[in-house]
Amino acid sequence: MIRTLVRDPLAHFLLAGAAIWGALALIGDPVDPASRMIELSRERQAGIALGFERMMGRPPTDAEMDAAIARWVREEVLYREALRLGIDQGDAVVRRRLATKMDELAGAEAEVVRPSDAVLERWLADNAENYAAGGAVSFAQAFFPNEKAAREALGAMQPEGTPISLPKSVEAMELTEIEAVFGREFASGLASLSTGEAWQGPVRSGFGWHLVRLDRRTAGRVSDLESIRDRLEADWRSATIAERRKRAYEVLRAAYSVEVE
Amino acid sequence: MTIEKKGWVALAALALAGCGLAGEGEPSEAQRGDGTDTIELAEFPDRPYWGDTHLHTDISVDAFGFGVRLGAEDALKFARGDKVTATTGMEAQLDRPLDFLVISDHSDAMGATRRLYDAPRMLVRDPTLRRWYDMMHESPEQSTRAVAELITAAANDEIPEALRDPARQAAATRELWDTHLAMLDRYNRPGEFTAFAGFEWTLMPDGNNLHRVVMFRDGSVKTGQVVPFPGLDTTPEQLWDYMEAYEANTGGRVLAIPHNSNLSNGMMFDLVGPDGGAMGADYARRRARYEPVVEATQIKGDSETHPFLSPNDEFAAFGVAGWELGNLPLTRKSTPEMYAGSYVRSALLRGLTLEQQMGVNPYAFGLIGSTDSHTALATGDEDNFFGKHTGNEPREDRAMAGQNLGTRVGRFGWHYLAGGYAAAWARGNTRAEIFDAFMRREVYATTGPRMVLRLFAGFDFAEDDWDGDWVRAGYTRGVPMGGDLEDTGRAPVFLISALKDPDGANLDRVQVIKGWVDANGQAQERVYDVAWSDMDGERRRVGGKVPAVGDTVIRREASYENSIGAAELRATWRDPDYRPGQRAFYYVRAIEIPTPSWVLFDARRFGFDLPSEVVEANVIQERAYSSPVWLRPRRGPGDAPRIMDQG
Repeated sequence: MIRTLVRDPLAHFLLAGAAIWGALALIGDPVDPASRMIELSRERQAGIALGFERMMGRPPTDAEMDAAIARWVREEVLYREALRLGIDQGDAVVRRRLATKMDELAGAEAEVVRPSDAVLERWLADNAENYAAGGAVSFAQAFFPNEKAAREALGAMQPEGTPISLPKSVEAMELTEIEAVFGREFASGLASLSTGEAWQGPVRSGFGWHLVRLDRRTAGRVSDLESIRDRLEADWRSATIAERRKRAYEVLRAAYSVEVE
Repeated sequence: MTIEKKGWVALAALALAGCGLAGEGEPSEAQRGDGTDTIELAEFPDRPYWGDTHLHTDISVDAFGFGVRLGAEDALKFARGDKVTATTGMEAQLDRPLDFLVISDHSDAMGATRRLYDAPRMLVRDPTLRRWYDMMHESPEQSTRAVAELITAAANDEIPEALRDPARQAAATRELWDTHLAMLDRYNRPGEFTAFAGFEWTLMPDGNNLHRVVMFRDGSVKTGQVVPFPGLDTTPEQLWDYMEAYEANTGGRVLAIPHNSNLSNGMMFDLVGPDGGAMGADYARRRARYEPVVEATQIKGDSETHPFLSPNDEFAAFGVAGWELGNLPLTRKSTPEMYAGSYVRSALLRGLTLEQQMGVNPYAFGLIGSTDSHTALATGDEDNFFGKHTGNEPREDRAMAGQNLGTRVGRFGWHYLAGGYAAAWARGNTRAEIFDAFMRREVYATTGPRMVLRLFAGFDFAEDDWDGDWVRAGYTRGVPMGGDLEDTGRAPVFLISALKDPDGANLDRVQVIKGWVDANGQAQERVYDVAWSDMDGERRRVGGKVPAVGDTVIRREASYENSIGAAELRATWRDPDYRPGQRAFYYVRAIEIPTPSWVLFDARRFGFDLPSEVVEANVIQERAYSSPVWLRPRRGPGDAPRIMDQG
């Protein structure tokens, strides 16, 4: 039953609708411009106090609370009078604010919703190339300040390099990490080596020259869902917010014809 | 179509956009946590993680006015290595990604210029605002000028009421902040890229720069319980109150990073308390607690030291020219007696003196670099400099143009540095690990290049430690940079290693800078050359002085050869001037061989000639500053616990 509901577009529609009404309700009490009754509910007062506390890091004193309430009431009175006078019409700021709110509403749900495994699996399958690890390499290296010294050491079973503060061997280091530690020149130099027990090179780096024993290459593979769930979710969220805004706009836009003279 | 029907279309559109969703879930790790237990950690910090803690985007009041139209998302993408399009239309990408980023938009009037720009002109009643509005819409040059006026107005306490109304600002900030925090959580990836929440607190009495970047350790579940704290009309103590309340109420952690002390006219590291009287121990304790790190170098100059303060330091003048003239908007000129309160080394010295007097050191801070870029692009490399702000993104005339701040008094475009970076020695790349490295000051500053700088201090290190696992030795038998050593009656010994930037220039030399209070209570400083390239060959000391490393820079081509200098410099250094009971600090400065600055790259790229003195001023020796290690007198049984013990 749940499974059916998850797939049912009508269920989506209703759920989304409910969420939007929920979001609208959060934005503010609907104001009847004709009403001259301003009620300051306990929730509203708590909201004003919280706003103060977030800014100042402490609750307001009674006097500060009175002042904050007076400011709020003042704004409410002016707001209603403005609606009564129709000042919201033809105002570029209000126009843009409302347009922005619509955009945010379209994306709002995706800010908080927890996507199901199925959604994320589909996302992973569709964007597999973004989640393939760049490949990792295990190797040992010996450092030499110049090419000649490196070549001379090439025949040795275990070449003795010059001391330098770089790892002598690394286990399954990602290529991006190799670039950060050994530099880009060295990382790209590794590409031409083959795995095996022999020392090869020399490979040039920003530091000098290296003999390398390439123990293992781990090919980039697509990660599984669980290990990268947070990352998938974040990416899915960014993309979904953008996509929703676009789709919402497209549906609305379709109902209009625009003539540019 | 009736209004009701229209409403349904809109609702349906929004609903359609929402297909495929289940209910609301638990907050994610990024929202809730700090990255603890998300990745495998090294036993000891095994590599420096690189970041920028000081970046502005389009919700900074001045950055928007300067023209930037890139927001937090572009900034995050760029910092993690993606290609983005800069405001002026060029493609921009970092050579190498950064590991972490603090977006630090100004808390004051957050988003206000963007709102002002978007407003209908008839509603902008305030004559000043209306003039700025017109300037912003007229041209990029005029817009830049408008922001310069705005900064000057802030400096002179003349910001129009409409921009400083706290109630209006608070509501606007709340909304921006929530959206911003959600974005940071989405980009934060333990083990790959860390996105910190932060803001800049921009106190500027009389235009003297007392700015701090505030940096949070936590995700939006905690940071969403506050909003950025305004700088105008507040004080540092109030900022610390805000930080203290944040930690008490949320269980989170937060720190503040003072910067551009070089533009503070001596106010950043004052010897006296905020009211002009003696500094109280409570003030000092809180300052040390909440401000463990200072940004020592950035685009608007370098604050390590000044030749006036350090006449025997031949490398003291880096990034000083232009900036030494006065405060940020140049509304007040600087005079030499102000410098001691404006530069980091003298502040460290003042800290020792104050500690001797009252038992607490307010200025026991670590050092980092950052950019302070206002382009949303955290660029620190000389060959990829996107400017202080959008008004000087790459274009032909930016090097020789006067600046928006202090145009006609001797500050020019070429005085800008390309910007620095912060390096954090951490066990892994998470919010918790990097933030905690800042708290324990195990961080260092560079002027852009990514050299790897290690410093350990103890009493029994010896030359043969280098033959074994010296990093383990360093951590187990000594303290790393940022640490405290208690005097044992023996001279401290240091293990120092500087490895060149893997993709950058070789190293000229490594120095130890020692500051101490002598028997007469006088603060002293001395620079020791402890390792340099070819030190046993051609470059033997002459008359106690290490000869210059040479210069391979081809000015016209903005190129150099790594044929001089060293890939790594190491030293086992024992303080030859140690005196028992002395209060001292030691930090390391690693200096690269000469290389071309961004100004020479610009000249080549756009094909123009520079005056020869400008060319020569732009052959530079980039550098790294470690955080100090402090040597402190042995504690008596009745002494109060130290600041660091209370952390």
